[in-house]
This record gives sequence, structure tokens and C-alpha cells, in this order.
Amino acid sequence: MIFNSLTFLVFFALVMALHYAPFFSWHQKKINLLIASYLFYAAWNPPFVILLWVSTVVDWWAAQWMVRAKSQHTRRAWMVTSLVVNLGMLGYFKYGGFLLENFVSIAASVGIVYQPPGWDIVLPVGISFYTFATLSYTLDVYLRRSAPAGSFLNYALFVTFFPHLVAGPIMRPTELVPQFEVPRRANLNQIFFGLALLTLGLFQKVVLADGFLSPVVEAVYDEHDKIPGMLDSWVATFAFAGQIFCDFAGYSTSAIGVALCLGFAMPDNFRFPYGSVGFSDFWRRWHITLSSWLRDYLYIPLGGNRHGAGRTYMALMGTMLLGGLWHGASWTFVVWGGLHGLYLSAERWLKARFKEFTPGRATLAGLALLTFLLVNITWVFFRAKTFGSAGVVLKGMAGLQVKPEPLIAAGPMIIAVAIVCAIFGIHLAMRNTTLEAVIERTPPVAIAGMWTMLLFAVIIEQGQGSAFIYFAF
Amino acid sequence: MRLGALPAGLRETAANRPGQAQPVPTRDIPLRPWVKMGTFAFFAVMLLTAAWEWNARANIGLRTGDLDDSPQAWAEARRAADDAQVAIVGDSRILFDTDQARFEALTGVRPIQVAHVGTDARALLEHFANDPQFHGLLIVGMADTMYFGMPAIGLGGTAIHNYSKSDKPSQLTGMWIDRWLQKHLAFMDSDYRLSRWAPRFDNGWRKGADSPYEDVWKLAEVSPGRQYVMWSRIETDSYLQAHARHAWNGFKGPPIPASVADKVIARSAEAVRRIRARGGEVIFIRPPSAQQLRVNEQRRITKALGWDRLLVGANANGIHADELAQAQMLVLPEWSHLSGKCATVFTDAYVRRLVQLTPRLKLRPDAPPLLSRSDCVSH
Repeated sequence: MIFNSLTFLVFFALVMALHYAPFFSWHQKKINLLIASYLFYAAWNPPFVILLWVSTVVDWWAAQWMVRAKSQHTRRAWMVTSLVVNLGMLGYFKYGGFLLENFVSIAASVGIVYQPPGWDIVLPVGISFYTFATLSYTLDVYLRRSAPAGSFLNYALFVTFFPHLVAGPIMRPTELVPQFEVPRRANLNQIFFGLALLTLGLFQKVVLADGFLSPVVEAVYDEHDKIPGMLDSWVATFAFAGQIFCDFAGYSTSAIGVALCLGFAMPDNFRFPYGSVGFSDFWRRWHITLSSWLRDYLYIPLGGNRHGAGRTYMALMGTMLLGGLWHGASWTFVVWGGLHGLYLSAERWLKARFKEFTPGRATLAGLALLTFLLVNITWVFFRAKTFGSAGVVLKGMAGLQVKPEPLIAAGPMIIAVAIVCAIFGIHLAMRNTTLEAVIERTPPVAIAGMWTMLLFAVIIEQGQGSAFIYFAF
Repeated sequence: MRLGALPAGLRETAANRPGQAQPVPTRDIPLRPWVKMGTFAFFAVMLLTAAWEWNARANIGLRTGDLDDSPQAWAEARRAADDAQVAIVGDSRILFDTDQARFEALTGVRPIQVAHVGTDARALLEHFANDPQFHGLLIVGMADTMYFGMPAIGLGGTAIHNYSKSDKPSQLTGMWIDRWLQKHLAFMDSDYRLSRWAPRFDNGWRKGADSPYEDVWKLAEVSPGRQYVMWSRIETDSYLQAHARHAWNGFKGPPIPASVADKVIARSAEAVRRIRARGGEVIFIRPPSAQQLRVNEQRRITKALGWDRLLVGANANGIHADELAQAQMLVLPEWSHLSGKCATVFTDAYVRRLVQLTPRLKLRPDAPPLLSRSDCVSH
């Protein structure tokens, strides 16, 4: 089920009714939420609920046996069991076809012709998200950062809680399990603020990402016969920068709003990322729950910055390459991650080289613009389906295409550029504040008027119920 | 949860807490009168939506009960076609030009409409040929240039590709709720979504790029069973009619080489053979197009080179609009599809011919009387 669907509206109304029904105990309400979460997941592909159960049960018992283990060897064995089961499922469903394809290519390059049967495996929705969420449970217990959950119901609800289940924010057990231990009940202010956030998220997804930005991106990136020029290539890539932000941040904002209505707090996942100055700043603002997950469970175990410069750069590149692969089973995603790794490494080197440099306001704005432009280069590899089409767009951006043809009409181009400029300007202006702080300084009439316009725009856009881009990850 | 937002920039995230268990997150609720603001927004949205609905009915001419077609609706029809006695595939012409109720009144059989706008009927024919479950009569409606102009598979190919992914429980419930809403709200029409309607101010500002003005706008009203009928405003509004004609660009294009047509015919023949081998039957239909389009269609592929050779090559029966006496000079408001009333006349004509070509259908003893051009053309 997706948030921008009519089915979800009915589902959410029922969940709210059950959650606030006076005749259920807190224990029963948690069971209701668990069942609702399974229904939420099954609404897309019922058999894949089994994967959720496997992940839940294996990690629950792995953590239980880890704390009962008398030796470090046994503890490690249970941790490895959890890793093998979770990453095994992820590997089979998400990377099986990719691995097979590469194996066939390598075999062919040494003269071995191997034609395997087609890898016709459907990717379970959100498998990367819940795999990372549930892995953080066993890893935290193994690393003695937290104790195992006291109740299987609380733990199972942490894994499946529908607002974060299929596209994050990637929650840690320590963030959510304690919230299930005591009855949660949002007051009217929380519920209405949650609904306002849900409206904002749906506006970003339905109106901006799907309605106005996606067609501009498709006009260039999905065009196979015509060659884009400089203007079209840049505008389509800027539009994709806006689309991917509105799509994913829209999902996170909706998820936070939905959870808030039920009385639960979820962490920020985006903090005005296009207002970043530099790439370490970008990754503190973009998909925060993934970048911090990769930092805590990959970068730091790989050595982090504790073993000298060389090792730090290796850890950085390794983390970003795997981070790229997490997004999709394709070498284009690996290059996307690799580029970010290179950017981060270069920034780290420059910061060490120019320690005394203190930028003024104009320099900061210039660096933010430079960061935004360089991030856009990486988006080309994220969006293009092949290196060939990425090359076509990059060549277009560099103005090197011979006889390019106009692909984006003036009207959609003007609207897309206006939206992306607005996003960039808002992010730059709000980089040192929060949405809540700005709302608190804004007159209620203006907020109510804005809320009205956003909701009205969502209604008249109607939407086609298209899935969020990150569902595929 | 904390009442009131923290001072700017002070809310920490996981980015500020490396290598540790993350605590329960903090969410700040800004100190604002949320209930009053929400209530205001609710009623204001209700008011605006009511005004939008009024505008849709009074000014745009949309009506309740006009169901959008959708990938889920096509997939639903496709699933139903597996056990159907008669299924129709093809492009938008057979979709608009078949009146299912008339078909049923004449034969007692309601066909399952599986045709798709913007497609090449061959792709759908081959899709049915690959489906061992289908044993019925398959009517293949075609526009010559779309059918023979390989590899123009178009939107039907996308529908086929997404077919197995269009039966998720949430998609089905979404479709049911959407249909229920469309029975009561006229503005819920995908052709008048904000993002489709807003960019229409651009009527070709950038030369060479396809502007929203070049798109095909709303042409049809859709009833249950994917019954397409020409939208009445296309028949009466000169601006919309002129735009629709413009969008077809006269069906112009380079001539289709005989070698390409040969390949299409060979693939069609194979598809027909496979359907027949398991007890099914295929009959081709070529609905009419206006002279303004026909002349260009003929330039690209003549009837002799395309249609006639297809029937011979596939050893199949066919009904060409040219051969139906009572279906001549019908009204095609935007040159490519028949008006609602004339679609009934055309259906009447082709079904009466159809029952002569196949024993699978019979004219009912109480079938309504023959229709003619005068039943749909006012003098």
C-alpha cells in the first residue's frame, strides 16, 4: 500500500478509529497495529509477508541467544546467523539477477558461454529498508549498545510498524521499541500537526514529484531516439533532483505525520539537503537515517577515521560504494555512490589543507550552489538506466552533443525550473532552522491558508497512485 | 513529544550521534492553534472543491459516472477475457467505435473490451496468442498505419508488460474506491488533473519540442466495461474539435516498406494459427477514418498492400468499413473516431456482417432492427 492512494486513506481512517477506540487495552492496540502493518505490507504482495516473519523471528531469537551466550564466539555466531539470513534474503531477491548477469559477462569474457535461465524474481517491496532496520537490532545487541527488546510483540511491531516499513525512515530498535512500552495517545494538536505533515508530504509526492517534475525528467531520460542538448540535459537533471527529493522526503514527511497521529515520534530523515555546503553536510541532511546507519554499522567498523588518512579514505569509499549498491542492483548506482565517496574524500583533503579558511556569506552561498551542481552530476547516474544513456545526458550537459534536439516544451520547463529554484531557495534559507521553528513564527492565518492550498492541490491533481521511487530499494 | 519548537537548529538527529544507540526521537509540535487551523483548512478545502466540481460540470462539461480508464481497468478486462466468448483487441478506433450494448442486443453476447488507446493491435493479438486459456472469438480492430508500422507497439505494450503487476490487492481496492468517487464527482478526470491542465498555456513556444498542446486531450467518456464513447464536447465545441484534429497530425509519416508489412503479416498469421490451433477464432475489423486522414493513411500503406494481404496471409476473415453499405459517410468529429451515435450504427453494421462470417455468433430472433446512417446523422 502506498500513502498516496485512496486505499491508504480508508486504511488509515480505520487504523485511527481502532487506535483511539476506548474499549481496547494498550496490549490489544499493539496487536491491532501489528495486524494493520501486515495488511499494509500484504496489500502489495501477500506472500512476501513470510519474509517479514522470517526476518522478525530469526533476529528475535538471534538477539535472545546472543545475550544468553557464555562466550564471545557464540555471540559472534548468532550475529553472523542474523547477518547471513537477512543479507541472504536481500542478496537473493535484490542482487541475484545482478550477480548472475555479471557472472555471465565475466564467463563470456574468458570464452565460456553460459546461458542461465531468466532470473524472474519479483523484488519484495522495501526489503532493503526493513532488512537494515532489523539488522540494527542484532548489531546493537552484539555491539552491546542496547539490550534486547523485552517483549516479542514490541519487537515485531518495531520491525513491521507500517509508517516506516517500506521506505523508512530506517528506525533503530532503541528509537521505537521504548515507545511501545507505554500507552501512546496523541492529543488534538499532535494529530492536526501530523495531518498537516501528511498533507505536505502528499503535496510533495503527488503534485510536485509525480505531477510536474516526473514528465520533464522522462522527456530526456526515457527518450531513446533524440539527443538532448545542454539546456534539456541540465533542466531534466535539475528536475530529477527536485523529483527524487519530493518523492523521498515526501514519503518521510508523510510517514512522520502518520506516526504522529498515532502518538509515535519518528526521526528526521531530511533536513533541507539542497542547502548543504559541502558533501559531509549533504549526507548529514540527505536520507539521514541511512547515512547514519552506514556510518554506525559500516564506516566505523571499517576503521572510520581512527587509523590514519589512507584507511579513512578507504573506509569512506567502501561505505559509499556499498551505499550506492544498496539503492539498486546496477553498476550505475555503484558509480553514484563512488562519486559521492570521491566528493567526500576530496572535501576531507581540502578541509585538512585549508584549515584556516573561514567563508563569508557570499562564499557560503557559492559553495552551496557548487555542492548542488555537483550533486546533480551524481543524479545522472542515479536516474539513467544504463551508462550509455548517462553518457548521453552528461555529454549534453557539457554542451558536446552534435545536432541536439529540443525535448522539453517551454511550459513544463518553466514550471519545473520554478519548482526546483523554489526548493533550492527554501533549503538555503532554512538550512539552519527547522520546519517547526518557522511554523511557530508564521501567523496562523497564513499557515491555514497554505495548508488549504496544498490539500486542494493534492485533491485536484488526483494522482495516479504511482509508487514512491524508493519503494524499489 | 514536546510542545513548542526548539530554538533554531538545535534538534539533533542521528547524524549528530555517531556510534551509539539512538534515543527515542524528539518531535516538536509548534505552538499554533492547530485545531482551529485544521478546521479552517477542512472547510476551505470543501468549499474550493465544491467550486472546482461546479466548474468541471458547468464550464468544462465533465459529468459524474465518466470512469477513467486505467492500467487496472484494462488488466481487469484482460483477466475477464480469458473465459470470454468474444473479446475485442485493437487500438482506440475499435475501442470508440464498438457499442457493447448494441453488440449484446444483436447477439446476446457482450464482448469484453480489451483494446487500448495508442497501441498497435498486433501486440495485443500476439498477447492473446500466447495465452493458452483463451478459446473464444477474438476481434482485432486496427488502424492500418498503427498495425503495420512495426515496431510501434505503444501503450498496449506497456499495458501487457504491467499486466501481471496490476492485480495487487491495494490496486484493486484503489480502483473500486476511485470508481465509486467518479460516480459522484465529475472533476475526477485524469485529463483535467492539475499537472495536465496547467501547462496547456504553452501552445508551442519552443519549436521542435512537443508542447502540451500537441498532446491528445480528453476525447472520450468511459462507462463500466471500458465502454468508450466520444466526449460530447468534441462533437460540439469547435476549439476542442480543432485541437483534437490537430493532435493527430493527419496520421502523416513515411511510407511503410513492404518488407515491414510482410513481417507484420507473417507474425499475425502465426498468432492466428496458434489461436485457431486451440479452438479459437480471429476476425479483423478496420473501422472508418475520415477522408482527411484516409488519404495520408493510404499514402503510407495502401489497402491492397496492407489489409488485403493480411487477410490472405493470415487466412482470416475481415470486415472493412468500406464494405459496409450502411456504415458509409458516418460522422467522425475529429476524423479518427466515430461520434457516439454513429458508433452504434457502425457496431450494428459490423455485427450483422460478423454473424455471417462465424458460427460462433448468431443474430438473436428478437434483435433490434437494422440501423442506418440516418440514425446518427442529423440533416
